[in-house]
Amino acid sequence: MNRILAMAGKEFLHIRRDRRSLAVALLMPLTMVLLYGAVIDMELRDLRVGVLDLDGGDRSRELLRAMTSSGFIVEAERLDGREAIEAGFRQGRLQAALVVPRGYGEDLARGGARVQVLVDGADASTAATVANYLQAVVALVDRDLLREAGLAAPFDARTRVWFNPELVSARFVVPGLVALVLMMICALLTSIAITREKEAGTLEQILTTPVTPAQVIVGKVLPYVALGALDCSMVLLAGKWVFGVPMAGSWWLLAAYCLLFIVIALSLGLLISARSPSLRVAMMAALMVTMLPTMILSGFVFPIASMPGPLQVVCRLLPATHFLVVLRGIMLKGQAWFPLQTAALVVMAAVLLTLAIRSFRLRLE
Amino acid sequence: MRALRCLVRKEFKQLRRDTALLRVVFALPIFQLLVLSYALNNDLRNVRVATLDEDRTALSRAVLDAFPASDVFVPGPAARDGDELESLLRAGACDLAVRVPAGFERDALAGRAPSLGIDVDGTNSSLAGRGAGYAGAIVMREAARFAAAHAGAGVPAPRVETVVRFLYNPELESRLFMVPGVIVMLVTIISALATGMAVVREKELGTLDQVLVTPLTPLQYVVGKTLPFGLIALADLALATAFARLWFHVPLLGSPWVLLLGVLEYMLVTLGLGLMASAASNTQQQAMFTIWFFLVFAIMLSGFFFPVDNMPEWARGLTRINPMRYFMDIVRGVLLRGAGLADLRGELLTLLAMGAAAFGAAVLAFRREAGRG
Repeated sequence: MNRILAMAGKEFLHIRRDRRSLAVALLMPLTMVLLYGAVIDMELRDLRVGVLDLDGGDRSRELLRAMTSSGFIVEAERLDGREAIEAGFRQGRLQAALVVPRGYGEDLARGGARVQVLVDGADASTAATVANYLQAVVALVDRDLLREAGLAAPFDARTRVWFNPELVSARFVVPGLVALVLMMICALLTSIAITREKEAGTLEQILTTPVTPAQVIVGKVLPYVALGALDCSMVLLAGKWVFGVPMAGSWWLLAAYCLLFIVIALSLGLLISARSPSLRVAMMAALMVTMLPTMILSGFVFPIASMPGPLQVVCRLLPATHFLVVLRGIMLKGQAWFPLQTAALVVMAAVLLTLAIRSFRLRLE
Repeated sequence: MRALRCLVRKEFKQLRRDTALLRVVFALPIFQLLVLSYALNNDLRNVRVATLDEDRTALSRAVLDAFPASDVFVPGPAARDGDELESLLRAGACDLAVRVPAGFERDALAGRAPSLGIDVDGTNSSLAGRGAGYAGAIVMREAARFAAAHAGAGVPAPRVETVVRFLYNPELESRLFMVPGVIVMLVTIISALATGMAVVREKELGTLDQVLVTPLTPLQYVVGKTLPFGLIALADLALATAFARLWFHVPLLGSPWVLLLGVLEYMLVTLGLGLMASAASNTQQQAMFTIWFFLVFAIMLSGFFFPVDNMPEWARGLTRINPMRYFMDIVRGVLLRGAGLADLRGELLTLLAMGAAAFGAAVLAFRREAGRG
């Protein structure tokens, strides 16, 4: 036990001396919460829409007034010709344009009129939403026209949003950041720390002392577990205080699953360091195997359901995917029972830990 | 000039021997393009709809069938009562639940304007908001259809219709949008990270001190050190653009020369920043961490995935000092919209100023380093 603590103390000194890395390890999660919480907002505001009114009658002015007073559109730019639309798109000034055709008023009086909405499809992430907003504005005008004619809508929908009624994106992101931070500290940093010692040759020196390999490893990873736990709490508290991310379930359950995930992350870190010939390879591998998949394929921000089939299979093989379902379930929904995810995580932890220990023993002998 | 040539030759020799790095540098683009372009999308697709039909009439069936008929929703489980619907939502077995109350058709025919319930799982805030909007639009459309079918033979009501056309990307494939973004990321990672690491490595090995006692000036050193990586980044750009074109059918509507001008300006920035980070670091780990730290935020604030227009005012202010944002606009503009020099004037000038500043600062940083040694 004393030897483990001595190892941990030594590793702790290493961490403290490398001020810059420590600063990144502590600041990165916090900045990420603040930025991600604010930036990942797919709700559009301030649409930049150009208006080309070829009709110029009372009815078309009515339509344009309805558009500007809807609140979605802040800047409506008057265009003087069709060429101005594409120029606006190319220069990034406009996101969409509404064209009211000549004779719009007469067509309406005759029963049916059409307006054209042109959207800059190059910005595919927002184009569909922009189009939906503009269609909704026109649909409202359409509804008012129906009402004028004495035809009210026969039924409607009452929408209720569960678990996150104000659609705060931070509630979605903060659980994902917990997984990301644990991967970063426990897998990335640990693998780097062990490989560095291997490269410097000091690992062999330590092994000639009475410390057993198991003690070396446990002692080395302990400070990183502590750092990971600290970062995790920071992320959770920042999410709670700044963005009001709730905690619907039990903190203990959350801590238990975090511990399980830490075992997985550490095993991955050990595995990488055992297999890497040099520090550079270890860093690259750690980034590729731990950080990137956790960011991209775990459902952290990017919905798994929209990915192609083969990629979805890869997603299911990632521990972070299942960990995220559990975290969001506990924090947002107050769930306590995750049979599938727990089984997947336990199996992954067992397999990875066995692999890590085996390949490490092989290396040391 | 001769000294510079020697340094460049040495750098190339070193690069050629580093097969591990070369493999990464040329395999990474293809790998990233393939995985990222398929994985990074925020399309509203395969949204699972659970249903509860308490009315069991022609109208309730028509409304419920309209959901899976759209390309956004897929049918999920059908619940027997409200409790089951709620537990489906809680367990994540569906993303959206539609409930048609008993007497729905009767009330609609009697003009009592009943409401059907749409319950959305708000956990994924962005999908939930858009999914709810889409679901509402479906109900609105069904209501209009029902009204038209049951309206008397009187005068037809005036109606407005919208015809939507998406320019540049008619099918709204998110890949067309993501691939240029991935190309930007690639150029950034290769030029900033690889340069930064290379210089720190020389520092770690002690060979930097040896180089600094030679007659090389700091400017020559910086240029010689960055030139090979600049060329590699250019090769990567060409490789990635060709791959994007052949595999993903991403067009190149604008002039390749504008693209080249943009990338040269941008690489002044990234190479300069990579060098500065390495001048300020003592170990490869520190350099990687420093560069990575800035990279994560540059990517987030570049409009690569999260639209700049949706950000709060302070974040939008931050994007204005982010060189990656300007380069992102240039690459997407040239590739997808066919934007030319005149259209991208502002972006190109800003990048040029940033590039001159970053590269100048890097040279100064190395002059200081040399003075210290």
